Amino acid sequence: MILVISTCKYSLSEEEFVRPIAEIVRDCGFDYHVRRYYERIKIEDYSKIIVCGTALRDFDYLNHVDKFTDLTDYDGEVLGICAGYQILARLFLNALEEIKKIGVYKVRIVRENPLIKRETRAYFLHRYALRSVNEKLTPLAMQDEEICMFKVKDRDFYGVSFHPEVLNREIIVNFLYL
Amino acid sequence: MKVCVLYSGGKDSNLALLKAREEFEVSCLVTLSPKSEESTIFHYPNTELVKLQAESLGIPLIMETCSDDERSSLKALYDALRKAKEFYRVEGVVTGAIRSTYQATRFQKICDNLELWCFNPLWLRDEISILNEALEFGFEIIFVRVAGLDKSMLGKKLTKDIVRKFAERHGYINPAGEGGEYETLVLDMPLFKKKLKISESEIVGKDYDATMIVKRAELVEK
Repeated sequence: MILVISTCKYSLSEEEFVRPIAEIVRDCGFDYHVRRYYERIKIEDYSKIIVCGTALRDFDYLNHVDKFTDLTDYDGEVLGICAGYQILARLFLNALEEIKKIGVYKVRIVRENPLIKRETRAYFLHRYALRSVNEKLTPLAMQDEEICMFKVKDRDFYGVSFHPEVLNREIIVNFLYL
Repeated sequence: MKVCVLYSGGKDSNLALLKAREEFEVSCLVTLSPKSEESTIFHYPNTELVKLQAESLGIPLIMETCSDDERSSLKALYDALRKAKEFYRVEGVVTGAIRSTYQATRFQKICDNLELWCFNPLWLRDEISILNEALEFGFEIIFVRVAGLDKSMLGKKLTKDIVRKFAERHGYINPAGEGGEYETLVLDMPLFKKKLKISESEIVGKDYDATMIVKRAELVEK
């Protein structure tokens, strides 16, 4: 069972940022539950977790990062998309910087990884991201000076600052089949 | 939250409006009226008809005319949304964007510049499911422009049968018309207090590239 976590303050945003992810999970034949960021969730019931993104002006989830602390002890795989990337970055004590990026930009792969093999173009919609990481994270891909994909060392936790559901569905599919 | 809906009068913006109304107060509609079908951002045919649709909805309308070039279109959109923010105190914009990152990028940037939330409830939706959902909600939809489809489609109502045919041709055409294959006009939907009746129209253009110009229309009891 896959857990899809919404970081959206408003239901209307879930149509844009959560439903497309849930549809990819469904199309790959996996069962899933969607839960909201402010709920207490028994994450050990799930084999994989995807933490979705939200609207550019939505930061309410940052008031609930404490709800995600159980993730640090989670044995399964995690994919953090945009807001989910930011939550993972903060859980592993990295400082986000203000980097506003809206639109399609080229992504350069800097380390071999199971989610994406080649340079690609991706759709970005965020206000915060990472330019540098501490020893807990490994950069996987860059967009200009931004670390747009990272892996948490010794864990199968991945952060993606762009929205793979738009132009790079293979990232989500590869994650589901890890 | 008070929001405005970027409204073309077609199926997508009407479905987006219906979804927005479930959560927010829709304070006004915003319509951009391009001078020709060359506009790359906005829906062209019969934008004057949105005045009747807005009347039927009982929602105020902000309409801006724009030239066909991108800069003029985006400036007009910015000005219209600024008015929506100033006069109706909206905090967010709802659009019917489905798949175009070109369009989405520009909407998101303008909303960000105006410090407005941007909602795209149809984003990445399967196009056939959008058509079916609109029909299930009781939308009455006609085709008012075709580019790549036969002009005999103009004025025809969208039916389950046509949706099924679009589904069979998926891959050759975008079933939602996002590639400009067609444009639609909504004559009726659940939020309309009265429905649109077209009493005079003219078809201009040639096969596979034609527009239905509505010359006379009125609101009638449902």
